[in-house]
Amino acid sequence: MFGSYPVFLREMMLFRRRFLRLGYFFSAMFAPLLYLLAFGLGLGHRISIAGGSYLDFLLPGLIAMSSMNNSYTWIATSLTVGRLHFRTFQIFIQSPVSPFAIVLGEVLAGMVRGLFASSMILLVGFFLGSGLYFIPLFIPALLLNCFLFASLGVVSGLKAKSHEDTATFSNFFILPMAFFGGTFFPVEEMPRWLQFVIRLLPLAHTNKLMRAKCMGSDCLFSLAVLVIFAVIFFVISIHLVRTYSE
Amino acid sequence: MDRRQWTAFYLSAPPRLPLASVFGHMINIDHITKIYGAIRALDSLTLVIKQGEVFGLLGPNGAGKTTTIKILTTLSKPTSGRAAIGGHDVEKEPLAVKNIIGVAPQEINLDKELTAEQNLRVYGMLHRLDNLGRDIKDILELAGLSERSNHLVRDFSGGMQRRLLIARALLTKPNVLFLDEPTVGLDPQVRRQIWDLVRNLKENGTTVFLTTHYIEEAEALCTRVGILSRGRLIALGTPQELKGEVGGFVLEYQENGNTRYILCQSREEAHSLSQSKKGPIIIRESNLEDVFIKLTGERIGKAEQ
Repeated sequence: MFGSYPVFLREMMLFRRRFLRLGYFFSAMFAPLLYLLAFGLGLGHRISIAGGSYLDFLLPGLIAMSSMNNSYTWIATSLTVGRLHFRTFQIFIQSPVSPFAIVLGEVLAGMVRGLFASSMILLVGFFLGSGLYFIPLFIPALLLNCFLFASLGVVSGLKAKSHEDTATFSNFFILPMAFFGGTFFPVEEMPRWLQFVIRLLPLAHTNKLMRAKCMGSDCLFSLAVLVIFAVIFFVISIHLVRTYSE
Repeated sequence: MDRRQWTAFYLSAPPRLPLASVFGHMINIDHITKIYGAIRALDSLTLVIKQGEVFGLLGPNGAGKTTTIKILTTLSKPTSGRAAIGGHDVEKEPLAVKNIIGVAPQEINLDKELTAEQNLRVYGMLHRLDNLGRDIKDILELAGLSERSNHLVRDFSGGMQRRLLIARALLTKPNVLFLDEPTVGLDPQVRRQIWDLVRNLKENGTTVFLTTHYIEEAEALCTRVGILSRGRLIALGTPQELKGEVGGFVLEYQENGNTRYILCQSREEAHSLSQSKKGPIIIRESNLEDVFIKLTGERIGKAEQ
């Protein structure tokens, strides 16, 4: 447990170093802002979903998507490059810290990155005049979403045989999930068979929770799904670190 | 890098060795085999290294030197066989092993986007050092990098990065230090500095396990040398013993445009043999390269040429 702090601290030092280069910051925030402006402003006036404005619908979706993307990508890339190219990951393996501590440190770092991106979008949404009001499950759903996808980032970062592997996984799994998981339109608009598939994806449940106004049993089910995914990915990560061998 | 400074630095280290190993062997390698796909990187390697030894594993690239270090430092799991450091099994008690070792790998795996101080701080925290601030200051001074403490590592020269890498491995005052090809690509001056450093560590009783394919490095530093070829240990002993086994002297002569070698037991023997050779001849003391050629028919530096 204690050993997770230096692992986390190192990622934060690296994050800070990149953040100081402003170009990096803008390129990282570019995609979600583009979606927000293009869809939010372009479609926003014509469409209304569930009685609210489209911007109000879109904003939680973009927050879920960005928290997923940033938590996942940061950790998956950091581990793939650190393990295969710079070989800095090997320092953790050769240090007296437990696999649990290594994974926890990385996951917490990924969460910070995801929460940072989320808060940026929230800020922009606020200036665009979104009437987003906080609902009870917004924060736990966001935290779980970051935790879950940072853990998935660890799995992918440890399994990838090259940097391209991470990108491939991202294109075939993360990106479709962002589009079909209820980010831009309600899952209910899709054909029934596809809805069933979509409900197997964690991001769909995050989206649902972030927009839910009540705490019914349906929401508790979605929450349970996220917790189960988070636990599975976290446990797989620990297993991969424990059995790490070159 | 003054010897007294090193002694002072090391005296502040708490003893972390189990009693059994203080009187016994520091590194025990017992029939380790490592197979990658169809390649047998290590073939039943068995080796015992005592405390305070500077042991050199010598061999051409691809002989299995780095694989050996990876297994001993818990980075790689052997296909079969066992290994222990300070009495701790590397597979069953990895945390105990990691507590007493320091590793400077062949590739410089420092965070180049961080400063020297930040690199050392993260490493020291991973090892739960109590007086981290003071230890970092001391080790940077010993490595001659005090003034560069807050500079990004990517701006360091190759020699400075290598020094920082070794300094990081020494930060925890390890009982066993692993150096994988510590002087590859360094200019002679930096190489001498690293040699001095290893000699100082030896004075302080640290066990050093190093790999190299530089003959003169092994001869200059090591109390004992093992020669590895294609995953097998083909010779083991002090440099003197190994050279004595193949003959202490070498007669080099030219034949059909090729350099030929004859290993001789004495200078006189080499002299008398040289009488029948035409052209330029050289009589010299044998070195570990001759040992390697004798045993394998290949040169150690072959892969690089």
